[in-house]
Amino acid sequence: MSASNLVSARRLRTALLVAVAALLLAVWAFPVIWALLTSFKTERDVLAYPPTVIFEPTLSNYRDVMFGSASLLPNLLSSTIVAGVSTLLTLLFAVPAAYALARLDLPGKRASGFYVLATQMLPPVGLIIPYYLMLQKIGGLDTYGGLIVIYLTFSLPFAIWLMVSYFEDIPREMEEAALLDRAGRLRALWYVILPQVRGGIAVTTIFVFLNAWNEFLFAVVLGGNRVRPVTVAMFNFISVEQTLWAKLAAGAMLAMAPVILLGLLAQRHIVKGLTVGAVKGGGRT
Amino acid sequence: MSAGGAPGDVGRVSLRGIVKRHGTVTALHGVDLDIEPGEFFALLGPSGSGKTTTLRILAGLEPLSSGRVLLDGSDVTDREPGERDVAMVFQSYALYPHMTVYDNIAFPLRMVATPAVDADRAVREAAALVHIDHLLARRPGQLSGGQQQRCALARAIVRKPRLFLLDEPLSNLDAKLRLETRVELRKLQRALGVTTVYVTHDQEEAMTIADRVAVFMEGRVAQVGRPQDIFAKPASAVVAGFIGSPPMNLLPAEVRAGALRVVGADLRLNRPLGADGLVTLGVRPAALRIAPTGIPARVYLIEDLGDTTIVDLDVGGQIVKLRTDQRPDVREGDNVHVAFAECHLFERDSGARRGE
Repeated sequence: MSASNLVSARRLRTALLVAVAALLLAVWAFPVIWALLTSFKTERDVLAYPPTVIFEPTLSNYRDVMFGSASLLPNLLSSTIVAGVSTLLTLLFAVPAAYALARLDLPGKRASGFYVLATQMLPPVGLIIPYYLMLQKIGGLDTYGGLIVIYLTFSLPFAIWLMVSYFEDIPREMEEAALLDRAGRLRALWYVILPQVRGGIAVTTIFVFLNAWNEFLFAVVLGGNRVRPVTVAMFNFISVEQTLWAKLAAGAMLAMAPVILLGLLAQRHIVKGLTVGAVKGGGRT
Repeated sequence: MSAGGAPGDVGRVSLRGIVKRHGTVTALHGVDLDIEPGEFFALLGPSGSGKTTTLRILAGLEPLSSGRVLLDGSDVTDREPGERDVAMVFQSYALYPHMTVYDNIAFPLRMVATPAVDADRAVREAAALVHIDHLLARRPGQLSGGQQQRCALARAIVRKPRLFLLDEPLSNLDAKLRLETRVELRKLQRALGVTTVYVTHDQEEAMTIADRVAVFMEGRVAQVGRPQDIFAKPASAVVAGFIGSPPMNLLPAEVRAGALRVVGADLRLNRPLGADGLVTLGVRPAALRIAPTGIPARVYLIEDLGDTTIVDLDVGGQIVKLRTDQRPDVREGDNVHVAFAECHLFERDSGARRGE
């Protein structure tokens, strides 16, 4: 094959890749862009057929979902409390648990790994009735504590499973060196190991927070008037008579904002290759 | 023993009957060792021989099945690694990647709340000793392999421990740097006078750097002694086959009626052979020469190393190496005879050395 043929073959490959990537992006971005546009339309414009792309934008939907009678702000607060607290508690328990599973020779360690994953295999819908009855018995329905505890039952195993792999990536000699340097186990963990799994903690935080923030099924059944996350509250815009598409879209945009913000913030911390060069075989940076 | 000698002669190590089992596998079958203060002591052996396990037990990183570890007379068997006042350089260096070189070296001092001024002086001194004082602001990832090795060394030196433990510290360096660092390491140890236990699988490294060597074979100490003594009188056939480059040639032989029978040739030697029986004949490559009579052999390969030549000989189906300063006048495929100036005899079944 001649050189020019090679070059044109490579160009073709690049073009194909770009085309496929563009297609995938379009499939993902279309509903988001559609919802974004819809959130600035009047209800009348939303229903216009054929759909209008050029229209007179209005902020009235945002005004309504933020300050109107059906304000979503209390629900956003509700979501923040539920997702925030359950994320915090998850990390508080998952990080030490994952470290122990990764490092210590505990009896039943292998089996525990399976049980952790097994909890992820149960369809949530199968748990909803027992959870409802249990919370009812202890007065936990429509309370933050109740919903957060239920969220922990699936976020904790997932977070442990995720964090274990990050801890296992750290060479054992790292803490052995710290132990010989008179750090003791706790300080070895704090000064030597945890800084090296920062990326993993950031990733776990995002996953756990996202799951809790997006959760709908448990929230709609186990929540109520006091504890009503935004996912549930938005449901009110869909009624038997009509669906308020524009308000729904504005609400969705509001609900997405904190998540996107969190993703952007954490992106900075998810640095790969932090350990490069510290152990043998690690190339120079 | 060493030039300096640690203050108060600290750093005496005694291992008593160290046994280590992993499930049903026994890694160490009762290791006894005594290491003198200020000594540079090498644990030498092939991989899996138990030398690294012994070092880790000494450090307190590995639990042992039975036996005692004594440091300066006191039993530290059940003490945590941090309570033993020993410093270790790992094969992988185990530098903390998120800290600068300065913080890496300062870490062991900060862990015992050393006053900042003292710590700063100690860090700079240690870094200067291993010539990395210009790299203190870098992170380990920005250092070359040799510089990382020095950083790990500085982190061990900075605490002035009573014992240095080095686990194959040179194995990740290239050949040239390894030779240079070997010399420097020896000088540094002499200057500091701290007892050093050094694990290596490289017999040449152990022989050139150590005051004394313990040769490990299959979880046992096969021989302890000064390098030249081990070289001159290996205690067993396995030790003989491990020491020297190339190592000693070992051939099956038999003592019968005052003669040594090797590959069909009856040799009369001017040394006592001992009782009749099956033995293993050991001959150093440099002690072999091509002669008019002797053991029949066939030239298999000639390796010209410039100043020396190694001739691989096929002796009764086994390759035997001959080393000489003068290139012999033979060609590959020639049928020749070989004779030897001196030899070692080992019992065939036990491998133990036969006395002269």
